[in-house]
Amino acid sequence: MKKKATAFDYGLMIIFVLISLIMIIPIYKVLIDSLDLKTAYGMKLFPEQFGFAGYISVFTNPTLYRPFLVSCFTTIVGTFTGLTIATLGAYVLIQWKMPGRTFFANMLLFTMIFSGGMIPTYLVMKAIHITNTLLVVILMPAINVYNIVLMRNFFEGIPASLFESAEIDGCSPMGVFLKIVLPLSKAALTAIGLMYAVSYWNDYTHYKLYITNDNLYNFQMKLRSVIMGSDLPQAIGGATENTVKNAAVIVAILPFMIIYPFCQKYFIQGVNIGAVKE
Amino acid sequence: MRVKKMLAAGMAVTMAASVALSGCSSSAKTGADATSAGAITESGSSTGESKAENEIKKPDKITIMVNSTVTTKANNRDAFEKRWEELTGIDLEIIQPDHDAYFDVLGQSFASGPENWPDVIILNGSYYTGYAEEGALWDMTEAWENSELKASGRVTGEDVIEATKIDGKLYGFPDARRGGCLTYVKKKWLDNCGLEAPTTYEEYLNMLKAFTEGDPDGNGINGDTYGVSASGLMGAKGGDPSSNYLPEFYQDAQPNFVRGEDGIWYDGFTKENFKGALERLRDAYSKGYIDKESLTNGTKDCRNKFYEDKFGVFTYWAGTWASNLKNNLEANGKDGELIPLKPIKEVGTYEEGTAPVWAITSACENPEGVFKYFIESMLDGGDMQMLWSYGVEDVHWSTKAETVLDKTYAAGEFHTRESLEQPGTQYTKQHLDPTLAIATWENDPGKDTVKEEAKVSQKIFNENCHQAIIIPSTEVMATYNGDLTTLKNSIVADVVVQGLSIDAAYERFEKEGGAEWSKLIVDSLNELGSSK
Amino acid sequence: MNTKKKGPAAKAAGSNKRPLLVSLRYYKGFYLMFLPVLAFAIVFNYLPMFGIRYAFYSYKGIKEPVFVGLAHFEKMMKMSGFWNAFGNTITLSVVKLLLNTFTAVALSLMLNEMKSATFKKITQTIVYLPHFMSWVVTASVFTLILSPTSAGLVNSILIKLGILKEGIYFLADKSWWRTMFYGINVWKDTGWGTIIFIATLSGINPELYEAAAMDGAGRWNKLRFITMPALNNTIITVLILNLAKVMNLFESVFVMQNDAVIQVSDVLHTYIYTQTFNSGALPDYGYTTAVGLTASLVGCVFVMVCNKASHKVRGRGIV
Repeated sequence: MKKKATAFDYGLMIIFVLISLIMIIPIYKVLIDSLDLKTAYGMKLFPEQFGFAGYISVFTNPTLYRPFLVSCFTTIVGTFTGLTIATLGAYVLIQWKMPGRTFFANMLLFTMIFSGGMIPTYLVMKAIHITNTLLVVILMPAINVYNIVLMRNFFEGIPASLFESAEIDGCSPMGVFLKIVLPLSKAALTAIGLMYAVSYWNDYTHYKLYITNDNLYNFQMKLRSVIMGSDLPQAIGGATENTVKNAAVIVAILPFMIIYPFCQKYFIQGVNIGAVKE
Repeated sequence: MRVKKMLAAGMAVTMAASVALSGCSSSAKTGADATSAGAITESGSSTGESKAENEIKKPDKITIMVNSTVTTKANNRDAFEKRWEELTGIDLEIIQPDHDAYFDVLGQSFASGPENWPDVIILNGSYYTGYAEEGALWDMTEAWENSELKASGRVTGEDVIEATKIDGKLYGFPDARRGGCLTYVKKKWLDNCGLEAPTTYEEYLNMLKAFTEGDPDGNGINGDTYGVSASGLMGAKGGDPSSNYLPEFYQDAQPNFVRGEDGIWYDGFTKENFKGALERLRDAYSKGYIDKESLTNGTKDCRNKFYEDKFGVFTYWAGTWASNLKNNLEANGKDGELIPLKPIKEVGTYEEGTAPVWAITSACENPEGVFKYFIESMLDGGDMQMLWSYGVEDVHWSTKAETVLDKTYAAGEFHTRESLEQPGTQYTKQHLDPTLAIATWENDPGKDTVKEEAKVSQKIFNENCHQAIIIPSTEVMATYNGDLTTLKNSIVADVVVQGLSIDAAYERFEKEGGAEWSKLIVDSLNELGSSK
Repeated sequence: MNTKKKGPAAKAAGSNKRPLLVSLRYYKGFYLMFLPVLAFAIVFNYLPMFGIRYAFYSYKGIKEPVFVGLAHFEKMMKMSGFWNAFGNTITLSVVKLLLNTFTAVALSLMLNEMKSATFKKITQTIVYLPHFMSWVVTASVFTLILSPTSAGLVNSILIKLGILKEGIYFLADKSWWRTMFYGINVWKDTGWGTIIFIATLSGINPELYEAAAMDGAGRWNKLRFITMPALNNTIITVLILNLAKVMNLFESVFVMQNDAVIQVSDVLHTYIYTQTFNSGALPDYGYTTAVGLTASLVGCVFVMVCNKASHKVRGRGIV
């Protein structure tokens, strides 16, 4: 790691700069438009008439506060619930000799391919009385077989010797799970936790189908109505409708721009199995 | 008097309670103070007296499911609901799903059994005909015929109601016209090119040519602009068919099913005049008069291009949008003066889409009562119409001396307040657009607040429009029309954008089954007419 | 790596053959732990599956459903639009899946090779941003970038370089649309896709690299003998899991579709959509369900085939 940078490294850097440029140009267009008080259809390098009116109009909108809190709440609780389900499921799925394991695995896989459809799902949710509550938006996305299988993939990487020694120490399955599996899976928990968090934060389909109470709407629902609302009646506090919409798009990206760097630390450190091993 | 006082006291308590309960919501609610409470009780008791004469039973409770064309929660729907309940003495329950999901949620409620059906719902387009056909809606023809509203002579939109009837029966009540699109032209562009507003297709085309090849925006560059833009060549994706953004090219041609004057249905796409329309579109497109990106444009893209002076002729909604277009152009530093065109000679009249309706479901226990107290009352020309048009006093509108945004109003001057959901803007209307309501309203206090350009464009539209007819749905149509429409759209795009010849286009129509489907559907529509 | 494939817990569980009862007792803790997962799957996935029966009914959501047997399937088979959509769904989603996975793996490997930590962090943050743009916004931005007029970035660059004379209407051109579709998908999801691979890579024991370096292995050999084997399992899992979802393609196509390219872009779910909204009647929920069920069956075949292949190659299936 302490070797001098070679031509290869510089080559990589150039490639990365190019990739980053390609990735950023479309977002840059939105950013510029959100800061431009004039409406521009074409691409511009800088705003023609710089101003924060679009953002001010989004941030001073009092109807966005409560949805923001709802989003924070459901994202935190939902991610926790989702990770619980995913880790439990994954842990059981690596018990290769457990009778019924294959059945359980296929049963989970089946749900990825077949679904009951919109109306039947609604009828079930209604029957168990969780429509129009936050439970429906927290619990429904928590079971995600894709995440369970990915998590299982990570658990497989944990050396068998650790399980053996723990068992010899008299740990129960739950004990092994809490004392060994989870602490060793920080990168996996971060990656899959992030996937859950993003899906909870960006969720609007569950809200729009199962919740008709405006008080329980999340940030994304409200932002969508700002972005999609084609009926913005007139120029808003000096900002045109276009400026406000673009500002709303940027605001929607913002939280994860802030959170991601904190997650990165777990990816780079990784699981330091070497230290745990004898 | 004692009754009034008690009512006022009760009101104050409930109001205080609702403020306390709603917690963190905006403080504007408290604006409904004692004076307005007084005014409310007065009107409340007067409606109470008039009710006694009627034999139609007053419902105790009405449940409605509405989209966000009705005052939303964020705009203090609670105040709206409370005011409505005061005016009628009926308990109102409002279910208001997210705007995008309205028909999904409505479908879910219907699927969960009649005991879960709301009393009143809002429907439009094929949902209206579909729900009616499935027997989910109450036939309100008689209720309407015998209504006080009809007898009052204030109704101006009998044609709209007629156009809403399916097979002579009325299953939903359109409280307002749908409105429609007319063609706006930038005045400055006309002046720069030394042209007058066109009245014929030839003049229209000439104008597009000048806008495309000349320098209408006066920036010194020839040919950096074009004539007209549209979102889709056959109307917006998923939009209703009447939002045709290129009427001057289509003229009398129709891509859809039409009932001729002889009462016989035919498919406009298969007629000779449609080929003419295709030719006109293809020529104008290849010459660059029509925005090259029309196929991929969203309506928002078109608006942005219009604001940016990319093009000069825009067919868009009449009414409020006239002001919006003007304001946005001016905010962009462009000249905002627009001329709303009368339809050119070949177009004849603009088309007005079928209006959304209020329908009563067949699960409703007392539909007559609901019609009278909920639907009919909406256009009472008094307090109720005020509520549906402008909302609640001192919440959505006021007559107090105050400053709203940058405007100052004197005491007694009617004005709308700042929007709760979109601060920085003023409310224009709540549910009912006063300029579109189908009944006259003498005392409309907002008459003078409607912007001049909006009034003018709406007036021109209203004087030059015809009602779109409702196309009934048949089983055959349900089976084939989806594929047929996709094929038609694809063919039109081929002709206009790729320059496919008309003959080759119709050959494809024949070959891929379009002609057959079209005939099957036309037959089923004509059978429908003859069997009844 | 090979020892891991058997699964560590298998070893912890001791000998291979054990009487069922003993086994059940041994695993009772695990069954208990699986209970919540089972409950979630039953309530949120299995109970609603009673709705699959509507595929054999005519049902508009108001009157009682009427049994129609295989009528919906018969109609489906007759319509050329359905078959067109069917073929497009498979082509578009399989190619998209392969491309997305490939670019995500390539980018993860490149990031893994990057020595400068700051550089790595910044790139990672940037590439994952597109995931947070909704499809609607993405489509409108790319419509602009790919515009045939002078406003279009791509066309103006190509014209300036002298490669083109006149702008190409990329999104409304049958021969270009698919390329654009794949490209935009790669743009949007590559960065996000790297997350799972990077997390896997970070799990590789650094000692392995150090040992390899001592043996004189270069970058290429380290990649070939250490990095790739560690990634393979994840790549295969991700690929197969996504195969189960290939028939679900909707939003990304819907927002980029237009009348000119319908023949190369219509997929099953956009087909259902236009059936629903252009039919001029209430949509028959039964027909929609039937098309959905067909899509599921195809997805099921995909997964079963891959699972078999996985068994053959790796000695076990994906789950």
